[in-house]
Amino acid sequence: MKTDIYEKMEILANSAKYDVSCSSSGVETNFKKGEIGATHTSGICHTFTPDGRCVSLLKVLLTNICIYDCAYCINRVSNDIPRAVFSPRELADITINFYKRNYIEGLFLSSGIVKTEDHTMTLMLKALKILRYEYKFNGYIHVKLIPGSSMELVEQIVKLANRVSSNIELPSDKSLKLLAPNKTKEKVLQPLKFARDLSLAKEQKPIGMSTQLIIGATPESDRDILKLSSALYDKALLKRVYYSAYIPVNDNKNLPSIITKPPLLREHRLYQADWLLRFYDFSWDEIVTDEFPNLDEDLDPKAFWALNNLKYFPMEINTASKEELLRIPGIGARGVMKIINARRFKRLTFNDLKKLKISIKKAMYFITCNKEFQRQVPFYRENLRLALIKPEPKKLIQPSLFDTSSITGEL
Amino acid sequence: MILLYDGSFEGFLSLIYEIYYKKLKPINIYKSLPNEIIFDEIKDIKTDEENYKKVLEAIKTKFAKNILEKILNIFMCDSKDFEMALLEYIVLGFKDAKQLNNINNSCVFYLNSLEKELFKNVHKMYAFIRFEELDDGSLYAKLECKFNVVYFLAKHFIKRFNNQNFIIHDINSKLAFIKIDDNYSLQEVAFFEEPNKSQNEDKFQKLWKSFFTGVTIKERINPKLQTQLVPLIYRTYMTEFFNERT
Repeated sequence: MKTDIYEKMEILANSAKYDVSCSSSGVETNFKKGEIGATHTSGICHTFTPDGRCVSLLKVLLTNICIYDCAYCINRVSNDIPRAVFSPRELADITINFYKRNYIEGLFLSSGIVKTEDHTMTLMLKALKILRYEYKFNGYIHVKLIPGSSMELVEQIVKLANRVSSNIELPSDKSLKLLAPNKTKEKVLQPLKFARDLSLAKEQKPIGMSTQLIIGATPESDRDILKLSSALYDKALLKRVYYSAYIPVNDNKNLPSIITKPPLLREHRLYQADWLLRFYDFSWDEIVTDEFPNLDEDLDPKAFWALNNLKYFPMEINTASKEELLRIPGIGARGVMKIINARRFKRLTFNDLKKLKISIKKAMYFITCNKEFQRQVPFYRENLRLALIKPEPKKLIQPSLFDTSSITGEL
Repeated sequence: MILLYDGSFEGFLSLIYEIYYKKLKPINIYKSLPNEIIFDEIKDIKTDEENYKKVLEAIKTKFAKNILEKILNIFMCDSKDFEMALLEYIVLGFKDAKQLNNINNSCVFYLNSLEKELFKNVHKMYAFIRFEELDDGSLYAKLECKFNVVYFLAKHFIKRFNNQNFIIHDINSKLAFIKIDDNYSLQEVAFFEEPNKSQNEDKFQKLWKSFFTGVTIKERINPKLQTQLVPLIYRTYMTEFFNERT
C-alpha cells in the first residue's frame, strides 16, 4: 500500500515528537537581500499543539526506518509500526512552503538509521544543500547528528546548520548498556565534541549544541542528572540540555511498565533547576545535595534551597547585591532588574514592590523592605515550608441534579 | 477643561505647545468626543506644523534618543487612553530628563508597561500571522490586533521574505502593507474581495494540519495550557485551527 504525502507527514512528525528541543533562538539576524528567511534572536513559537508544547520548527524525521533496537524508542527495528520516507527534495519543498506561510522558523531534521550512519547523514545533508544553496534559505536549521557517522559529513552539516545536537537520552552508561545496546555516552557525544573542536580550531563562535535526557525510565537521581548537565555546560560543549519525561511506548522488562504515567512534575522541577544553573549562577551541588539527592516536588528548587539556607535571609532588598537578589524565591531576573532600577531613586517599601507589579507571594517570607518584615509566619524552616505550599482554598462545587452518577453511570 | 486632538503624533505635540504657552490645565484629552455628557469646557486643538516642530525639537535636544522612540511607539497603542499619562511624562521630562527612568513614578511605569504590552502583541503577531499563496505567487495575510502593528510586521517580513511579494492586511485599521519587488507602500483599503488562492495552497494547508496532529503527544494533552499560550482571539486566521470553528 502506498501512503499519500499527508499520511507520510503524520507518521514522520509523530515519530519525531519525543524530541523536545524546539528552540530557534540565539542566532543573530542574518537576512540577505534577494534571499528568503531570517532568524530571530529571541526565537519565535509559531503555534502550540493541544499538549501545550511550542512549535517553532518543522520537526520531522527524514525516515522512521531504523536498524537500531533501542528499548525506549518508538522507532526501533523490532516495533511493528507504519514506516515512511521523505526524499530530500520533498522535505526541502515542504520546508520552504511552510516557511512562506509563516508556519515555522525553519527545520528540525532528524532521522532513523537507514542502511548505515553515513548513508543517512548524506541524505540529510542533501536536503540541507537544496535549502541553503538552491532556495537561498537563511532560516533556522537544527540537525540531529547521527552518532557513528564520518567526521567529513559532520563538518559539512555543521557548516550549513544553525544548531546541531545528539541525544544522550540515558544519564548513565549502565542504563545505556541495558536499554540501548548499540550506543554509549562516548559514542553519542563524539560528533558534538568534534563539532566543538572544529569551530575552536577556526577560532569561530561555536555552533549551538544541545542534548536530551529521558527522565524516569531508569533509576538515576536528580543529583546524577544535574551533575551531568552541569558538566556538559562547564565544558562549553552544550548550550541546552533538554529533559523529557519518559512516556512508555514499548513493553520491556527493563523499563517502567506501560501503564506508568509520565513524571511531568519531576520534568518541570528539573527545568527549573536547569534555569538556576544557567541564569542564576547556582551550582548543581547547591540545588541537590547528598542529603536531598532529589528535587522536592512540592517546592520549586530555589525556594527549597532558600529553606535549607535560611542564614542568608531575610534579605534587605534596598542593599542586597544583584547576585543576592537573584537568590530570593519568587523573584526572577526581570523582578531583580526592576528593583535595581527603582531603588536608585528611593528606598523601596512593600507597597513600592506592589506598584512595580513584582509578586511577593513567595518572596515576602525572605525579604525586608526598608527594614520592614512580614510578621504572620515565624522564621523557621517548617513554618515557612508550610506557608509556601499552603494549598489554595478549594472551590465548592455544587452538585447538580443532572450530573451523571459516578457509580451507576445513569443520568 | 477637556482637550480634543486628531489622534496623531503631530497633533499631540501641537497640543503640548498650546498647553505650555496658554497655560492650559486639561482634566482629560480625547481623540474624539466620547458618548457621555461633558460639563467642562471643550477645546479642539488643530495640528499646527510650526508648533509641533518646535516641541519635537525640544524633545530631541532634551531627551535621550530612546525616549522619543518610546513616545512614537506609544502612538501605536491607539486603542488605549494614554494621553494624560504621556502629557505628565513629557512635562516631567522637561523638568528633569533623568526622572524619565524613575519607574517609581506612575506615569513612567504605565508607559513602560504599555510599550511592553505593544511589543508582546507585536511578537504574538510575528508568530501567529499566517500567509496564503495567491494565484500570482504573492503571499497574503490578514490580521486583527488591538494595536497598530502593521509597521512592525512590515519591517519583520521584509527581512524574511526578501525575494517574495507580499501583502499584510490589517482588517481593523483598514490598512495594507504591500511589497512588490523593491517597492514598499502602505495603503488604505476601503473594501476588498477575497483574492484567489494558488493551486498549491490547499495541499500545504492540509500538510500543515497533518503535521500539527502528528506532533501532538496524546499522553500530555492539556487544552488549558494551549489556550493560555494561543488565546482564542488569535486563532481566527490560523490555519491549524480552521476546522475547530463550525
